[in-house]
Amino acid sequence: MATWQRTEDPNLARLARLAGSLRTRGDQLLVLIVLLALWQGLSLAFGTYWVGSPWGVLTRLGKGVMSGEILRHASYTLLEAAAGFLIGALPAAALPFALRRLPIVTAILDPFMVGGYGAPKLALAPLFILWFGIGIESKIALVAITVFFIVYFSALAGVRALDPRLVQMAQVMGANERDVARHIVFPGAVPHIFTGFRIAMPYSIGGAVIAELISANRGLGYLVQLSAMNFDTTGVFVALVATTCIVFLGNWSVNVVERRLLRWRPRPDLDMQAGS
Amino acid sequence: MTMHESELDREERSRVKWRKYAVTVGRIGLGVALLVAWKVGADAAGPLYAADPINVFQRIVSDSISGSLLRHITVTLRLSVEGFAIGCTFGVALPFLLRRMPRLTRAVEPYIMASVGVPKYALVPLFILWFGIDDAPKLWLVGLLVFYPVFIAVFAGIRNVDRNLINMARVVGASEAMISREVIWNALLPFFFTALKIALPRAVSATIIGEFLVGNEGLGYMIEYSRQNFDTTGVFTGIVVATALVLVINTALVRLDRHFNAWRPIDRDMAL
Amino acid sequence: MAAEVLLEVRGLSKRFGNRAGREPSPWVIQELSFVVNEGEFLTIVGPSGSGKTTLLNILAQIDTASGGEICLQSHAAPIGNSKSLKPGLACKIGYVTQEDNLLPWRTTLENVLFPLTVQRRLNEDTRAQAQMLIRAVGLAGFEDHYPHELSGGMRKRASLIRTLVYDPPIILMDEPFGALDAQTRTQLQEDLLRLWNLGRKTIVFVTHDIVEAIALGDRTLVLSRSPASVAGEHRNSIPRPRDIRGIMIHPEFAPLYQRIRVQVQ
Repeated sequence: MATWQRTEDPNLARLARLAGSLRTRGDQLLVLIVLLALWQGLSLAFGTYWVGSPWGVLTRLGKGVMSGEILRHASYTLLEAAAGFLIGALPAAALPFALRRLPIVTAILDPFMVGGYGAPKLALAPLFILWFGIGIESKIALVAITVFFIVYFSALAGVRALDPRLVQMAQVMGANERDVARHIVFPGAVPHIFTGFRIAMPYSIGGAVIAELISANRGLGYLVQLSAMNFDTTGVFVALVATTCIVFLGNWSVNVVERRLLRWRPRPDLDMQAGS
Repeated sequence: MTMHESELDREERSRVKWRKYAVTVGRIGLGVALLVAWKVGADAAGPLYAADPINVFQRIVSDSISGSLLRHITVTLRLSVEGFAIGCTFGVALPFLLRRMPRLTRAVEPYIMASVGVPKYALVPLFILWFGIDDAPKLWLVGLLVFYPVFIAVFAGIRNVDRNLINMARVVGASEAMISREVIWNALLPFFFTALKIALPRAVSATIIGEFLVGNEGLGYMIEYSRQNFDTTGVFTGIVVATALVLVINTALVRLDRHFNAWRPIDRDMAL
Repeated sequence: MAAEVLLEVRGLSKRFGNRAGREPSPWVIQELSFVVNEGEFLTIVGPSGSGKTTLLNILAQIDTASGGEICLQSHAAPIGNSKSLKPGLACKIGYVTQEDNLLPWRTTLENVLFPLTVQRRLNEDTRAQAQMLIRAVGLAGFEDHYPHELSGGMRKRASLIRTLVYDPPIILMDEPFGALDAQTRTQLQEDLLRLWNLGRKTIVFVTHDIVEAIALGDRTLVLSRSPASVAGEHRNSIPRPRDIRGIMIHPEFAPLYQRIRVQVQ
């Protein structure tokens, strides 16, 4: 295989790589066709009652988007996820900074935070629905508490990852505590915080959807539940596709922001290509 | 010549001791404060919105005596373990199968990764529709939720196995099966255990959530049923028991992990 | 030309904290005394592990001493108690460490401007000064690069001018060129001397390389092995400006080298 051939000619090597990746793309396209055919086959075999056909799903999705219905429900879910994310993530990111000079408080909090992190927050969904009703607040609360613990630990790791030599260097140059926090602790922690954001993001959408599944009157989770109760598998698939799209959208946004904010990070793969 | 450092040492050591003491006291204090806040909040909010901790405690006791609590816990645990086993089996087997077919792996990989983005919980109504209202939809849910982290960990672990070790094994005549067993399995054990630590508690959570949506037994059912009957004490009881269950499992896993991997440097992976 | 004493070290001693219940740790530095004159380029040589970095850390006030005194410009510096340490002594002591310690999230220019930002001295003049230094060490054109995009030698240069930019009266340097290849090292030594000539700052330069110590310094101190103290002091009368590449050919080099090498054993 390619790993054992050592070709001296860089052009040949590049050509080989190109051919390889084209073939992989071809394979992937083939797999896509096979998957679609399988789907269509299942739909034909069991009937669209049980398995909505690909074409049916596509047309219904198109209709739903055109009429604005999908977008309406999607924006509702997105709003829950985004609001809950902000309410949960911002305090969670700020807390380790605030407690940086009070390691005793962090230590006291630690078992409670670990417990909160490990506890099944989604199990609180019925409680929040009891408290806040079936409206948007219960979903936001659920998302917020789920996201909080995730981001807290990432931010904590970021604050702890502080390189003491950088702090010493800054102090020798006359930095005071505020300078150190602003120029050294915070920028150093940002990559970790972003990792936390990236991990928490799917949980925020998932949390919103789950709460909607249990009890709601709007949103994509509600759509899923409604369609299922009406034995409308096509509708279910449409709602699922829309939900997945939102997850991808969320992932993409986090990536975009991260790339801008973290331009300074060494990218081992890129650096090796560029040569030093 | 002034001697500073022996005073410093003594100072340092007493400071450390005082700190440990303060932290323990602080933790107990915070725990007590939270319980008190719970009681106060429950009194203020009324029996509909918040259950009095004493009532919750009494309910736990009475439910334990009557055996219904144990029944619900057992059902939830059984489902979790079954789903966990299913998800684990596929999560481990699939990467090993794919290892022999690199071309297929490359072709299929983007779709597997894309499917990670589908929120599995959203599939539950579909599963209910397809598989009925018994255990099946919950097993599918748990199976899927366990499958993905295990699959990704094992897949990545296999990929990262040192090629040289594999080639060496081939050279001395080991069969592919032997290579899989000896070289690869051992190399990916740490990744696998990390994934297990995440997957098992997640299996229990997933079972509980599944029971919110379907079924008539289990901790999740208990919570949701109480909610629908405005039995706030029941809701709180269920949540307390569910949380305790998951935390106990978590702690047990961490202890086990530390015990078996005592020789490894502890890796503080906070990432899921 | 009477040189003023800028820094005086008297009877400095250091040993690291005792572990509870064990033997007291050995002395790393014991009764170390020397002076540094204003405008002098002092080099300190010693075998690896002889406490050179510890000495600089104590001088820079990021570590405590177990005994002795340090006086900068006739003012005693607080060195016994870790709470009263003043790192950098209010920016009077610059410190170029072994690792470049550049802030990864700042560009080259931003890194060089960092001490000025922190000292609230950032203005047009200081910016121009920074630019001048960047050009002087050949980093022109790399102002907007991040540290991970620079080679080791370039990062070293950036960390060097980062200390030079705010002009502290005395600068400590801990084997700054140790990790570089010979070519880059020679280039940087030349750059350093050139920059030093412009302002005749006071520099305390620690190295394990005797050739480097002779090439750069006006005076060379030799540290003994643990516990470190001053084993010898050697005046270097090779005239300036020095030819770094040809230093070894200079007639005065060989005997000086011999004298120092004997003491370093």
